Amino acid sequence: MTRSEQLKELLQSISFRELTLSIDLLVSVYISFFYVDSLINATTEQLASVSWLSGLLLQVLTYSVVLMVLSYLLLAFISDNELKQPLDVREKQINLIGYKYKAVILQVGICIAIFQYQIEANGWGPAIEYNIPYLPMHVMVGAFLIAEITNYIAQLYKGRTGDIYE
Amino acid sequence: MISMSEYAISNSIRTLRFLYNEMTQKQLADAIGVTRQTVMAIEANKYSPSLEVAFKIAAVFKLPLEEVFQYRATNT
Repeated sequence: MTRSEQLKELLQSISFRELTLSIDLLVSVYISFFYVDSLINATTEQLASVSWLSGLLLQVLTYSVVLMVLSYLLLAFISDNELKQPLDVREKQINLIGYKYKAVILQVGICIAIFQYQIEANGWGPAIEYNIPYLPMHVMVGAFLIAEITNYIAQLYKGRTGDIYE
Repeated sequence: MISMSEYAISNSIRTLRFLYNEMTQKQLADAIGVTRQTVMAIEANKYSPSLEVAFKIAAVFKLPLEEVFQYRATNT
């Protein structure tokens, strides 16, 4: 089988659900990249500025909403009313598996953020927050973005392999 | 030598589809209200369908449930 035939077979095997999840995953990865890139390229003054941080979070929120709306409009345009179809039992189970991973990552992220805040508030040890202001908030945003990405990857992986009983 | 038996669900859907006017996975999926990926997973024994979906599949082929799905011991 040639490479183009393999690609054609792969494209034909992709379900509408997988396409939706892939677009959500791409949007989440782009937003994560934008957030991390903004933090890396920010000056020390910007990192310490509440207004700059508020602007960044507002941008992230705006991008999330706009990209999600655009992707759903695109999907609604190319789909044959498939967006309205409810998930079947297997897809609901896969959805729950994705949410399980998401919940674990969010819990860990919030625990780390609380711990980090306690370190900052009590001045324990040579804490990293002296270099990165508002670190607990960045940890929470990071955990949220990682949780979203993991959720979509887990759903795509479980949907493709079918091993949902592990 | 001790032989350990485990039970697993298997099915004859692929054969039945072929015998039933070479029905496609998509046609079967539409008939029972699931996605084609779910039919693929059921056929490959990677997913055990709900009782309702199992009965719907049997109804499509106009067969009793036990002729479509089997619960057999597999020697390991």
